[in-house]
Amino acid sequence: MVQAVILAAGEGNRLRPLTRSRPKAMIPVANRPIIEYVINALLENGIRDITVVVGYRKEHVIRYLNQLDVPIQVVVQERQLGTAHALKCAESEISGDFLLLPGDNYINAESIARIRNERNAMLVKEHPNPSNFGVVVIRNGWVRSIIEKPEDAPAFTVSTGIYSFNPDVFDYLQSNELPDVIMSMLESDERIRAIPADDWQDAIYSWDLLKMNGRMLKGIAPQSGGTISSGVTLRGLVRIGKGTTIGPNTVIYGPAIIGDDCEIAPNCVIMPDTSIGSRVEIEPFTSVKDSLIMDDVRIGSHSRIVEAVIGQGCVLGDHTTTHPEETFFEAGDGVIRAEFGAVLGDGIRAAPFTTFKNCVVGNNVIIKGGRVVLGLIEDGARVM
Amino acid sequence: MCGIVGYIGRREATPLLMQGLKRLEYRGYDSFGIATMGSDINLFKKRGRISDSESDAVALAGYVGIGHTRWATHGEPSDINSHPHTDCSGRIALVHNGVIENYAELKKQLVGRGHRFASETDTEVIAHLIEEHYNGDLREAVEKTLPLLKGSYALLVIAADDQRIIAARDCSPLVLGIGDGELFAASDMMPLLEHTERIVFMEDGDIAEITAGEVAIYCDGARVERPVELVNWCVEDVRKGGFAHYMQKEIFEQPQAFYETIKAGLDDHVADMIKNASEITLVACGTSYHTALIFKYLAESLCNIPIRVEVGSEFKYYPPPLKGLVIAVSQSGETADTLAALKMAKVHGCSTLAITNVQGSTVTRIADRTLLMRAGPEIGVAATKSYTAQLAALMELLDARCEGAFADVLSHAHLAIGEVLLRDIQQAVALCKGAEHVFFVGRGPFYPVSMEGALKMKEISYIHAEGYAAGELKHGPFALLTEQTPVIAVCPPGSTYGVMVSNIKEMKARRAPIIALGTDGDKELEEIVDVFIPLPDTHPLVQVLTASVVLQLLSYHTACALQRDVDKPRNLAKSVTVE
Repeated sequence: MVQAVILAAGEGNRLRPLTRSRPKAMIPVANRPIIEYVINALLENGIRDITVVVGYRKEHVIRYLNQLDVPIQVVVQERQLGTAHALKCAESEISGDFLLLPGDNYINAESIARIRNERNAMLVKEHPNPSNFGVVVIRNGWVRSIIEKPEDAPAFTVSTGIYSFNPDVFDYLQSNELPDVIMSMLESDERIRAIPADDWQDAIYSWDLLKMNGRMLKGIAPQSGGTISSGVTLRGLVRIGKGTTIGPNTVIYGPAIIGDDCEIAPNCVIMPDTSIGSRVEIEPFTSVKDSLIMDDVRIGSHSRIVEAVIGQGCVLGDHTTTHPEETFFEAGDGVIRAEFGAVLGDGIRAAPFTTFKNCVVGNNVIIKGGRVVLGLIEDGARVM
Repeated sequence: MCGIVGYIGRREATPLLMQGLKRLEYRGYDSFGIATMGSDINLFKKRGRISDSESDAVALAGYVGIGHTRWATHGEPSDINSHPHTDCSGRIALVHNGVIENYAELKKQLVGRGHRFASETDTEVIAHLIEEHYNGDLREAVEKTLPLLKGSYALLVIAADDQRIIAARDCSPLVLGIGDGELFAASDMMPLLEHTERIVFMEDGDIAEITAGEVAIYCDGARVERPVELVNWCVEDVRKGGFAHYMQKEIFEQPQAFYETIKAGLDDHVADMIKNASEITLVACGTSYHTALIFKYLAESLCNIPIRVEVGSEFKYYPPPLKGLVIAVSQSGETADTLAALKMAKVHGCSTLAITNVQGSTVTRIADRTLLMRAGPEIGVAATKSYTAQLAALMELLDARCEGAFADVLSHAHLAIGEVLLRDIQQAVALCKGAEHVFFVGRGPFYPVSMEGALKMKEISYIHAEGYAAGELKHGPFALLTEQTPVIAVCPPGSTYGVMVSNIKEMKARRAPIIALGTDGDKELEEIVDVFIPLPDTHPLVQVLTASVVLQLLSYHTACALQRDVDKPRNLAKSVTVE
């Protein structure tokens, strides 16, 4: 019986401001926390003995895990010292060969099928920007070395962070970081097979969630659970939760998902690659496209939301616009180019006629009337 | 108090009974015991809580059994006084929740007739009485015994060579769970949820004859039908999962408990009741009393309606002149004092409304109408999410009375509750955990919020705490202020802000360390106090909620720092079903 350990203790601080109340693994993508895709991929492979390591905002994760149909073991990593340290926290739950997976990346069932019967192996994937990952040097299908976030990557093959291990790995956990552990295993002549993943997605920065969201929406099951007025146009893959009402003349083009107890007013337009959480209110004549809207958001009438991530409980006035553009963002010690409309943290309140132009706005920011918001705005700021 | 369980079916009874008792431990945990029917009646009973090793080790054979977890009323907690109790021959065993008021007299008569008593409990008289009436038909014997008893009871009785459980209730809760070829009985739904969702609520005066295949209920000697109800609570809700304590889990479930209760709304009858009321009396005990007081402050000022709040245990003996609407607030729906008060209100011809978390509970059977809160099962003895859900229900009434003026505020309040759950309060915990006395002060609705904060602190951390109206502290308690007595002051903006700040400065001048809850960004307050905990800048109704949740976190983390048994504080039980 193969066991699995999912790491969900880390905050994922490159996704701030979205990680203030939840770790990255709990960020909803197509209305499901990222970790749910990982768990489902394991279950599809018949792997039901699952341990999740929690830490940052653990209450949120545990509450979610408790309401799943499968019983899941929970282990707490009190301080987030690193991935190898997190694995060590789960040592008591492990009795044989096991899979180790990050809870904050998407992985499909086919990829897991490729690695589940290996004893020492890692899943790897080609990536156009390998510098954000651990770059893996491979020879004849065996891992030669792993280089964390190199400036000049020697290859385009990166680690997905998914491994199959036997319990001997616990002998090598001298470092708190997994890549170091892999290196010390290689130095001790342990052989680790490199296996290409079938489908794997990671969101490094908050705006990467939009692409992941579009990808996940392709897999939703259509459903219309709510009250849909006559004169509503639904086309393509559309899922509408129970208790949701859709007003007359509203047009929804899938793939799109709308959660439970939402109110979508008359004459709205919801275009493809959009997910809308639960208890969201969208007022008349508003259009939404390529966006990820979390729970309890209110968007005023005549708004135009494009390529935006909107955090829980945001209240946006009428005539809100998000304007996609390409600009440069400071990230870590470098500068990166990114094109998107807006990333809004939780609980932002914006007055009518606000325009968000390619910006990342912190949690609980208050924006007074008629502003154009650009760049990075810190948590709790007031834009006058 | 006390919890009882029974099982009859094809499975070994012992593990099911032990598991059921663990689910009922919140009702009492002085001692426990089970009896099963194998070739004869087997007994196991023990003082103390059910530990994991014991629940595995106890292995009584049999497919029929009863069990009991005790909160002592008559006779101290001991092996002997634990239930089940038996008759002289040891061939009849029973468990009992309730109090037999005339037991002393009955016991004297029974001893006179030659019965030998093993324990000091009131319950044992029932076993001997049944023995006297037993002629091979257990139901008949129980039926003849019950009229002799004065007091309250929920009973489960088994006899050797009789493949039945006889159940009876009067003024103590008892529910039956109908499984597939098996039947369960318990004090409440908690132990049943993992086996079945088909529940029968027994009524006062009912006697049930339970076999593996079916249940027959009799009332006044005639067969009656009681409806089978489907219960929507799920098993996951009663699992602790990865949380350290149920209380922690339940604190974090509060945004949902609040939202679900608001979403469920009011039915038209309840809405009419509240709109047409000329005056309202609320009856409640413990934490529910505090929510009722908060409602009084809010409703009197916001909807201009006279409101009276009464403690259930006082009301029964000193009833005020009654008219208008009487609302009983009880999380469990089984609080004996509140039930007694509600019955009295009906006698006075008042219209009655129950606010409770438990579908089918006794209070819902007495009151004219019920407003069900949606907290889901609460296991931790200290009320947290049921408190918040009660406030949701009461605020819903307020909103109905004010023609929906607060609908928008209430539908988004859960976000603010979620927000304060992220607060780091370790500095405040550090101040409280070393203290012997702590004061909680506030004004207006924040006065009962402070009382609730103090109650939580007392019950789970065992630190002596008092909740005061901030202005009252000068009238005596000031004498107790030293640098070792932290004061927790709830100080949101509003008409009382200025005077609260003055109060805080006065307390500061007596060198008491001050922990203040104020609105985010209140620099003035932050500067004068030792620890400042910011609350989101929201509507005053929501600040009542957020302040309460912060105080829960403070008690919880203080109790953890002192390594208290948070879910099962000493001497307490969750629902107080004796007066």
